[in-house]
Amino acid sequence: MLRQPLTRAIALSSPSRVAPLGARRYADAVPAQPEKVEVFIDDKPVYVPPGTTVLQAAAQVGVEIPRFCYHERLAVAGNCRMCLVEVEKSPKPVAACAMPVMKGMRVKTDSDLTKKAREGVMEFLLVNHPLDCPICDQGGECDLQDQSMAFGSDKSRFTDIHFSGKRAVEDKDVGPLIKTIMTRCIHCTRCIRFASEVAGVDDFGTTGRGSDMQVGTYVEKMFLSELSGNIIDLCPVGALTSKPYSFAARPWETRRIDSVDVLDPLGSNIVVTTRTNEVLRILPRTNEEINEEWLSDKSRFACDGLKRQRLVTPMLADSRGNLTPVEWEDAIVAAARAIQDCPPDKLLAVAGDLADAESLVALKDLVNRLGSENVYTERDFPLEGSGTDLRSSYLLNTKIANVEDADFVLLIGTNVRFEAPLLNARIRKAFIHKETDVAVIGPKIDLTYDYLHVGDSASVVKDLATGSSSHEVLKRLDAAKRPIVILGADQLKTQEGSALLAYTQELALRLQDKLQDKNWKVLNVLQRSAGAVAALDLGYRPGVATALAAQPRVVFLLGADGGVVTREQLPKDAFVIYQGHHGDVGASIADVVFAGAAYTEKRATYVNAEGRAQQTLPAVSPPGRARDDWKIIRALSEVVGERLPYNNLDEVRDRLGQISPALVSYGEVQDNNYFAQARALSKSLQKPVSGTLDVQLKQLEDFFMTDPISRASPTMAKCVQAVIKQKSSVY
Amino acid sequence: MLKVIARTANLAKTPLSRSLPAFSTCGARLSSSADPTSRREAPKLENETVLTLPEEAHQKNALESNITVPTKVDLTPVSGVPEEHIKTRRVRIYQPAKNAMQSGTNNIHHWEMEFDTRQRWENPLMGWTSTGDPLSNMKVQFSSPDEAIEHCEKNGWTWYLDVPKTEKPLKPKSYGINFSWNRRTRVSTK
Amino acid sequence: MSIGKILALDKVATFFNIIRQNGGIRASLYKLYRQDELKDGVLVGEDKYGNKYYENPRFFYGRNRWVEYSDNYNMNYDGSQIPAEWFGWMHYKTDLPPHQDPSRPHYKWMSDFTENLSGTTGQYTPYSTTRPKVEAWVPKPKTSQ
Repeated sequence: MLRQPLTRAIALSSPSRVAPLGARRYADAVPAQPEKVEVFIDDKPVYVPPGTTVLQAAAQVGVEIPRFCYHERLAVAGNCRMCLVEVEKSPKPVAACAMPVMKGMRVKTDSDLTKKAREGVMEFLLVNHPLDCPICDQGGECDLQDQSMAFGSDKSRFTDIHFSGKRAVEDKDVGPLIKTIMTRCIHCTRCIRFASEVAGVDDFGTTGRGSDMQVGTYVEKMFLSELSGNIIDLCPVGALTSKPYSFAARPWETRRIDSVDVLDPLGSNIVVTTRTNEVLRILPRTNEEINEEWLSDKSRFACDGLKRQRLVTPMLADSRGNLTPVEWEDAIVAAARAIQDCPPDKLLAVAGDLADAESLVALKDLVNRLGSENVYTERDFPLEGSGTDLRSSYLLNTKIANVEDADFVLLIGTNVRFEAPLLNARIRKAFIHKETDVAVIGPKIDLTYDYLHVGDSASVVKDLATGSSSHEVLKRLDAAKRPIVILGADQLKTQEGSALLAYTQELALRLQDKLQDKNWKVLNVLQRSAGAVAALDLGYRPGVATALAAQPRVVFLLGADGGVVTREQLPKDAFVIYQGHHGDVGASIADVVFAGAAYTEKRATYVNAEGRAQQTLPAVSPPGRARDDWKIIRALSEVVGERLPYNNLDEVRDRLGQISPALVSYGEVQDNNYFAQARALSKSLQKPVSGTLDVQLKQLEDFFMTDPISRASPTMAKCVQAVIKQKSSVY
Repeated sequence: MLKVIARTANLAKTPLSRSLPAFSTCGARLSSSADPTSRREAPKLENETVLTLPEEAHQKNALESNITVPTKVDLTPVSGVPEEHIKTRRVRIYQPAKNAMQSGTNNIHHWEMEFDTRQRWENPLMGWTSTGDPLSNMKVQFSSPDEAIEHCEKNGWTWYLDVPKTEKPLKPKSYGINFSWNRRTRVSTK
Repeated sequence: MSIGKILALDKVATFFNIIRQNGGIRASLYKLYRQDELKDGVLVGEDKYGNKYYENPRFFYGRNRWVEYSDNYNMNYDGSQIPAEWFGWMHYKTDLPPHQDPSRPHYKWMSDFTENLSGTTGQYTPYSTTRPKVEAWVPKPKTSQ
């Protein structure tokens, strides 16, 4: 290939460009940036670091080069040829996605040669692509459709297909989520690269060559990944489409609402697509700080659970104890009467996994006004030491995006892959691109990447913390420049939880103190649910078991479906009020049921595992007589006689802001401090530990149904069955 | 306080001369900049400008020129929007999210404002979604968030910016690392 | 013109005739209360629901055929209680009442006449055949208690 003559090198006038914000963050840790090179994209000069591809350089000046196979977050494949551009002094057009820039290169993205090249590529692609856009689910949001309109020709010279017919490929069965119409495949290999790089499941690949080439799984096999839905997004044509969404709607007839996912603790940003007051599908929304542009399968496909098992009207137990639908007034009066008759110390409120901050604060204010302090979360957390007073001891302090920069990751008693799939994708990204190593204390699980297994006993953490371990990991941790330690919050519910947390804090802070980078945080606690952090921020106490031992008379369950509170633990005459959106464990033991709204139906605040407050926006209206959760509690408070002092959402949020400004600074995450204090407080708790660490979600089939919404989802049920069936297959 | 910006050339900008461009061979505005020797004809003066009194000319100038208002503009008394749609509305200003299904980004390089969702229900006749909210389908596009904010403040709506981080630092991509023999980026399947 | 006519004695005679035909003063008052009018006429026929059909050409066209609804209906009578076979005669589509009309078909499969049930418990209520978009949770009934 002809290189640019060096004589063309233009004297660089020391480009004083400001590095992007993200690059500056750890600027001191990164070696000095090499000299930038100047290239000209359509005669516009741009300075980029050497090694940048032409396509990236063009993107810097806002010139978008058409592409099919190239994707920002995947490896460069360079096989679709759609990004061919003309480069001056080059005899042939070059593939912009794979060609590194050279000094003084002059790229023409809109010249006749470029246009002709694109038109030619388009013509080749369309030789075998079926013209079934009217029945294709990708229609209207198809890259091939768009680009053939923009860059294609109006006719084709390949007339022989009129006689031989187009290439036809057998469809593959890759599970209940992805529908394949392989005839439409243009062999961009994005799905293959996603599967092997991001998902870490090397099942996809190509067989055959030339016009016999096929993308598939080699043998009939389900795509066993928790991130499988993303290949639907990645597919530039309609070869991979969503099975649950098939033939449901066209993109131009839907309404898109930007919202936030609550089915895992990360709070991925999503776009909820609705039509006729129905959630049709959920797509990821780019947020570099959380989910990049991926979404886990549960968050993406569990949305049909929002239409099943819903509480659509308030219910009240009749004389025989059967729940019957009643008017709001009757339900609220019945609940208020029970609350009024109850002595304050016998009143208990329990918040569940999906509770939003607004309803949490309303419930806590109500219970406090009634003279009770019994507000608890379902999930456990040790209260000894600093407990939940210091935010740093229950958050993901490193922050999701910074996990990429870590050079050693220690996972303690957590299966990140299923508890927070996109965090695992970040760790995998670091593993692949930054040569980060991972060590695991806990059961042996498949994390999609290799790791050092240190053991599954809690005493390993103790040995590491005290420095008495002889394991290789200790040396690696000590040598690491940016290590992180992630502790699964599930481990903290046992008796030894407090000691385990204390040792983890000790270990993490011992490492943190030695680091050169003083802003780097090592300690991370990975919560399991979207509502957990907000509840702890608001002062909900973990550990409902102690409160249940006090024999409460009235129990208010705010979406508490974890099965922690059961009828057997309560006294016979206990009155249970359940508020939530799904008929699940909680509603089935209740005497009064208040029908609340799910996360797609309300404007509500959720705080993710790193402490970032985000809000959901209402996409559809709550079904039937269901209402916004905080409004129900506000109405109840009026009947009880302790009127809560807020009448609209802004006032509730003011109240949230009074408790913690972090709860209403949407989209932002604050740095946590007081690590040293937390460590000092936990010193006394460092008792010997002997238990073994186990995780709840071990296999892929455990991942799909973990909360009321996904338990109600038929798609998720199909996934579980398909995974179990795949397990029994020979492949 | 009204600050009046007077224009320099009042003669050429009178409505009369603007409506008769064909008849003026040489505008008074051009005459100042052009070389006087190249003129073929003396600049024409219109009778009206000659005859007007100075204070009349000043008044006319004031009426024709732009006015900048330094104080906050509040359109709510004149816009005719009912109060419940001014005081209680909350506007979200955002950049439309890229459709995850597509790689093109041509339709998202602007800013939009939308109102909070309220009063939407399913119409029992056809199952379509009905709304009682006149502002529910209003999406206004702006080229920058500042414009959107200004528009909202003029109309008295509470607004908030919703900006997730979508930019990421430029990291040079390389085709070669697919084949590097000692790195984890080496591809196994193709 | 007879003296009787001048003195409207024939009207008086008709009046008494009507009273007599309708079964005396008591019965006439009841009929007047029930039907708001009292007429004399020839009983043309009776359908199987007990409605009686009368005709009197003395009244002008349009009012010369009428029905007296069966006493079973009490005050709850309405036009839809006239069965289909009498409908034609009542509306002057034919002059032959059903029992005198040989050309009327009678098949076994013909279903029985039903009146309009709107406003009663037997009324037709439209329903949707589409599945509800949201399936509500149905609590399990408690068996032991």
